[in-house]
Amino acid sequence: MNNKPDFARMKFYCDENLCIDCNGCVVACKEAHEVPVGVNRRKVVTVNEGIVGKEISVSMACMHCSDAPCQQVCPVDCFYIRADGIVLHDKDKCIGCGYCLFACPFGAPQFPKDGAFGTKGKMDKCTMCAGGPEETNSHEEFEKYGQNRISEGKVPMCASMCSTKALLVGDANEVALIKTYRATTKGKGIATEAMGW
Amino acid sequence: MENTNSFFSKNKAYIYTLLGLGVVGFIFVKYMMIMDWAYLFDFVVNILSGAGVSGVTTPPASNYELMVDTAFGYNYEAIAPEIIRASNERQEFIWWVFIGEIAIFCVMYAMNGRKKAVITNPNDQVQVFSLFHRGVIWFNVLIIITLIITGFNITWGLRSGGGDLPFLLRGMHEMTGIIWLPFWLLLSIIAFKDAKLLFNNSVMKKILLPGKYKPMKRVIYIAFVTMGAGLLASGIIIWFLHPDAYTHGQYIQFKRLLLYVHFGSSVLIMFFLMDFVYSVLVSVKGNLKGLITGKYPREHLEQLAPDVLADIDNIKGN
Repeated sequence: MNNKPDFARMKFYCDENLCIDCNGCVVACKEAHEVPVGVNRRKVVTVNEGIVGKEISVSMACMHCSDAPCQQVCPVDCFYIRADGIVLHDKDKCIGCGYCLFACPFGAPQFPKDGAFGTKGKMDKCTMCAGGPEETNSHEEFEKYGQNRISEGKVPMCASMCSTKALLVGDANEVALIKTYRATTKGKGIATEAMGW
Repeated sequence: MENTNSFFSKNKAYIYTLLGLGVVGFIFVKYMMIMDWAYLFDFVVNILSGAGVSGVTTPPASNYELMVDTAFGYNYEAIAPEIIRASNERQEFIWWVFIGEIAIFCVMYAMNGRKKAVITNPNDQVQVFSLFHRGVIWFNVLIIITLIITGFNITWGLRSGGGDLPFLLRGMHEMTGIIWLPFWLLLSIIAFKDAKLLFNNSVMKKILLPGKYKPMKRVIYIAFVTMGAGLLASGIIIWFLHPDAYTHGQYIQFKRLLLYVHFGSSVLIMFFLMDFVYSVLVSVKGNLKGLITGKYPREHLEQLAPDVLADIDNIKGN
C-alpha cells in the first residue's frame, strides 16, 4: 500500500473554443487582488482576430509549471512550489532583476515601474489566489500578493468569474476529466473539440 | 632580428588581441553555451533588415504556431535555456575569469617590475589633461566603479539571498547606467581625438596602423568605446523596453538577445579596464598624480609615454 499522500497538482486550463475574449478573468483578477495599473497577472491573447471560424482566444497567466524555469533561474531563490504544485514567490527576497521574465515561456512575471525614476519594482505574478509566504489572510499577505482564496477553499477569482467556463482550474486530473467530458458528450452540456489550438 | 617595420610588428597588439579574443570566444561559443547560433544569426539579420524584433524568423504554419508566437514569443528553446543555465552556473564561474586575469598581471609584474621615470627637472611640466578632461575622466571612474559594484547585484543576491540591499543596487545600476551615457560619449570623443577618424585617412588605416598612441592603448580605447556602446545600447533598451502582458510575445526574444549583448560587453569591458588599470597605474609609477593635477614632468612623458608627448607637441606645432 502506498502511504504517500496524494496531493493535487493544481493547474489552469483555458478552452480556446469557449473563450470569447471578454477579459472578465483579467478584470476579476485585477479587482480581487488590487493589482496596480500596468501589471496584469492574467491576459487574454487572441489570434486571427475578426476572421470568422479562425479567431481563437486563450486566457493566460502563470502556468504553475511543475519544473518552473523561474524557480531555476532566480538568483535569490525567491520562488517556492507548494505541495499542490502552486508556484509562489517571496517579494521580500525578490531583487527585481527580471531573470524570471527572461526564462518564463509564458511571460507571466510582471514588473511594476514603481521604483525611483520608473525603475522596475518587485516581481508580481499570478498566485492562483494562494497568497504568499506571509501569514495566511493577513493584511501583509493581501498587500503583497492579493487574496488567498485557496486557503478558504474557493476557486481562484479568474476561473470563478469566467462566464463561458472556458477557464478551468483545479487538480490536473479533474481538469482533464472535465475536458474529456466536454469532448465526448456532444450535444449535451458544454461540448468542445477534443484537441486544442 | 625583428623587423620593426613589418606588418606583424606594427600590428601585433591588434593581432594578439584578436587572436586571444578569438580563442576565448571560440571555446566559449563552441563548448560553454547551448545557444542556437543559427537562429541567433537569422534573428540578427532579421532585425538589421528591418523585419522587426519579434524574433519570428519563420512565419507560423498553423494556428498553434501562431498562438505560440503571439502569446509566448518565438523559439523559446533558442536562447532562454541558456539564460537559465548562465544565471546558475556562470555567476559562480565569473570570479575565476578575473582571478585568472589578475594572475597574469602578477606574473607580468614579477617579470617586468614597475617602470619609473628618472626625473632631473621636476619643474619642466607639460599640461596633458585640461580641467574638463580630468572631470570627465574622474566622473567616468566614479560611474564605472558604481556600475561594477551595482552590476554585480545579481551575484550579490546569490550570496545574500536577496532582500532590500541587492534590490537597491539593481535600481541604482539602471540609474547610473543612464547617467553614464553622456560621459561615455564625452570620453569616447576625447579618446578618439587623435584618431581623426572623420578627417584624415581611411578608418581602417587609423584603427589598424599605429598612430601617435601606442597600439595597446588604442586597443583599450576601441574596446572601451565599442563595449561601452554595446553596454549602453543594450542596457538602455532593456530598461526602456518594458513590455506588458500583452506585448510580451513581441519583445521578449529581443530582450533575451540584448541581455547577452549586455553580459558579453560587460565581461569584455571589465577585462580591458583591468588591463588599462594595470598598464597605467600598476606597471608604471607616476601616472596617477597627473590625472589629478593634469600635468606631468616632461621627462616622465619622454621616457614612459613618448607617444602622448609627440601628440601634444604635434598639436602645439599645428
